[in-house]
Amino acid sequence: MTIMKKPKLLVLALGLCLTGLAHASTAPLPKDLPAYGPDKAVPVPQVAQRTLSNGLTVWVVPRDGLPKVDVTLAVLGGTAADDPSTPALSSVMAGLLNEGTASLNAKQIAESLQAMGGNYEANAKPDAIVISASALSAYTAELLHLMADTTLHPSFPAQEVALHKANSLQALKVREGNPSWQAQRAIDRATFDTHPYARNSLTEASIAAVTPEAMRALHAAHFRPERSLLVIIGRMSAKDAFRIAEQQFGAWKAEGKALAEAPQAPREAMPQRLLVTREGSVQTNIRYGRPSLSASDPDFVPLNVANTILGGGFTSRLTQDIREDKGYSYSPFSMLNANRVGGSSFARVDVRNEVTGATLTELNKLYESMASQAPSDEELVGAKRLAAGIYLLRNQIQGSLAQTLANYWVQGLPPTFFSNYVTEINQVNADQVQAMGRKYFSPKDQSIILVGDPKAIEAQLKPFGEFKPFKP
Amino acid sequence: MHMIRLSVFTAGLLLSIAAQAATTEPWQLPIAVKKLDNGLTVVVSEDHSSPTVGISMVYHVGMRLEPQNRTGFAHLFEHLMFEGTPTAPKGTFERVIQGGGGIFNGSTRADFTNYIASAPVAALEPILWVEADRMKTLDFSEKNLANQQNVVKEEIRVNVKNQPYGLFYWTDLDALAFDKWANSHDGYGSFKDLDHANVADVKAFHDTFYQPANAVLGIAGDVTPEQAFTLAQKYFGGIASRALPARPDVAEPLNTKGRMQQQTDPLAKAPALAVGWKMPARDSKDQIPMMVLSQLLVGDDASRFFQGLVKGREQVLSIEGGVNYPLGTDIDYAGPTQLVLFTLYKSNATPDQVLASINQEIAKVAADGVDDITLRRIKTKLLSDWYGGLESFLSRADTLAKLQTMWGDAEVANQLPGWIEAVSADDLKRVARTYLTDANRSVIVRRPVAAAAAKVAANSPNTTR
Repeated sequence: MTIMKKPKLLVLALGLCLTGLAHASTAPLPKDLPAYGPDKAVPVPQVAQRTLSNGLTVWVVPRDGLPKVDVTLAVLGGTAADDPSTPALSSVMAGLLNEGTASLNAKQIAESLQAMGGNYEANAKPDAIVISASALSAYTAELLHLMADTTLHPSFPAQEVALHKANSLQALKVREGNPSWQAQRAIDRATFDTHPYARNSLTEASIAAVTPEAMRALHAAHFRPERSLLVIIGRMSAKDAFRIAEQQFGAWKAEGKALAEAPQAPREAMPQRLLVTREGSVQTNIRYGRPSLSASDPDFVPLNVANTILGGGFTSRLTQDIREDKGYSYSPFSMLNANRVGGSSFARVDVRNEVTGATLTELNKLYESMASQAPSDEELVGAKRLAAGIYLLRNQIQGSLAQTLANYWVQGLPPTFFSNYVTEINQVNADQVQAMGRKYFSPKDQSIILVGDPKAIEAQLKPFGEFKPFKP
Repeated sequence: MHMIRLSVFTAGLLLSIAAQAATTEPWQLPIAVKKLDNGLTVVVSEDHSSPTVGISMVYHVGMRLEPQNRTGFAHLFEHLMFEGTPTAPKGTFERVIQGGGGIFNGSTRADFTNYIASAPVAALEPILWVEADRMKTLDFSEKNLANQQNVVKEEIRVNVKNQPYGLFYWTDLDALAFDKWANSHDGYGSFKDLDHANVADVKAFHDTFYQPANAVLGIAGDVTPEQAFTLAQKYFGGIASRALPARPDVAEPLNTKGRMQQQTDPLAKAPALAVGWKMPARDSKDQIPMMVLSQLLVGDDASRFFQGLVKGREQVLSIEGGVNYPLGTDIDYAGPTQLVLFTLYKSNATPDQVLASINQEIAKVAADGVDDITLRRIKTKLLSDWYGGLESFLSRADTLAKLQTMWGDAEVANQLPGWIEAVSADDLKRVARTYLTDANRSVIVRRPVAAAAAKVAANSPNTTR
């Protein structure tokens, strides 16, 4: 269904593909189609857990087979902890971690990684700085050494900081051309308003504030062992992994005061109609959604199932209607973005200019159907089976398992959430799904964000309210 | 004052790593291959570490072989493979796979089209059934065709027409570099050609290319080869084979004079540059050395272009690319392809300066080759990435099926690490001098322009050959 598919996409695809069943056909399946085989038990990866004396939580999942190791370090406090005057400043700090340490310069770090067959990535997410790396498992000790060196002793060299600043300014310009980015910025604003979750990307003011000293101060404020989790997965014993973790991270000590937790994000918002002008657009990027919940909310699991049925995957109501019946869009879907202190729930649908209004009509109908039309047995069972399947597929991939475990931890979920996930999903019933529809998917509560060429679409928008220009 | 301690430590870290490299034990996949009587080849890699399977059905036809007045047809056809058959109407396919807890996708490339799925093993039989069902025939329906013409056009809008840079480093660079239609045309397709596609085209394409002798089925995961072969025979064994058309000769020589094009982009906010060099053929002795050279030049943050242009000269914001970029890898092509670079250059640099810097980095390798430690590092990185690409059952099944399709031998998956290991510094010198020359190079410079001005510019492309 796609021409563009990058090799790494699988991990992502598994994440995004969360899914369900639809307005789809309820016709009987072909008579010759063989039945599914007996379901095998869903194995839960066993996570060996230890807390070092400095408070660092270490989780290890030993594996056989693939001769590689995947490591993720999550440090609580992400862009939501940045000062409102310098949004997402911590993303610059994260990007500079591998640009120099007390003992290695940027080139030496890159070459060391290459020498162990390594990858390294550091990102500032809303609630945490997350560093993920991998290497051949023969270099587990070297990889953890490099992880510790870059995350605990970054030096923020003046020349690298200056280059990063210059490039970040240019990158601000580049991203303005990207309609998905423009749409995301606007829906985040409509959803989270003045909450720090709305301030998740850099501005010129943030970049102006970047200095080696500012980066060092920010690093000290974020990186604290008692607020961090280290996950190690791969071909090594738990004993060796804990020993190396102790060697490399055992001496880590917190400095100063811990960051304050972000306040709870709004669960409701006044629905908005925003139009982001993009001249020459041949499509409208529609974002349709509202604030929802944090991952630790009791509604999280049933809302996941409901979202799968609404717009999670190919059998979902959204895909079956907007793509397979109407042909309006290539890849329409809805998603649940649940973070530590709140979240959002929204549809992403990119359509040709001429069907912008018609697509909004369909979205209203489909969202409304989640309250008025109980899920069919096939929808409900399908959504549960798909959740279990994706759980298995994701856990098969080391890096993906490491990031899943770290994400749950950052979201504030207990380890039992991971081990009980499939059981919990299987307990969701049709009434709960409909209740989720009433609570979160009512069309009257959804904001509508459009990125496009006003000349081409304005005439279609009248039935949906007055659209105001989005002001960044 | 840190410097001395620092360099000693670095040398220590790198040396200990270099010394260890040989101790990384090779990771060999179990691979079983069987050809059914009707010509369908089945490749199986058993692994019971997860109760799931990855499945890939690869057909040996892609964008190169689509009809001349039907650009984009191979991809449109791929979409129609998901739209139902007389026995399993539209909607059945996704109900069966997702209802079984699985995911699926398909993709169209120059030399093949693959249909992939991954699911708990309980869904294996039904998935093979729907896969076999659509190999037999499709629901050749006007309505489904019209629906997917719309969907494909939306896909092209998302990725090309409404996107800054619009994949010019794929379609436009191939159009500039190659001379044979099979290699140079836009595989995403013109809207005109896509609109003209009709049900008779769909039927003819299926009849010609979608049949057992032109396909490889890869299965990896929680199944034994015996079980997999039995199921393949049960569901695919009865499908008749048909004669295949002769494969056209799509080979092209290297170019003998550099090519350059200037473009404007109404949606981009910063200028970009794409560079391509025509590559050795799939079975050339230069292919694996080129893979190693590509890693040295543009593989990661330690690469020559990253260190020389993003760092060092500070001329570009980013530089990415590789052999067969952006749609494939160094080893999953069969016809002509390029080593492609896509770079966003900064206001302190001109395209000529960027090209000169790239040439300086290439000239160093062409003259001096590469030192042993660097070569060791690059080989380790390639090995690690190769293993990583075989990790998920889905990509394992897909890689094996693709290798069987294009190399005629899935065992290449286990042989490749040895081939990489055998590459020498002299090999890198040779391939740098042979392929990465100005005469064999195509360049596109793409600059932002206001949307209004773009309409004028679009009618006057400026190409020099």
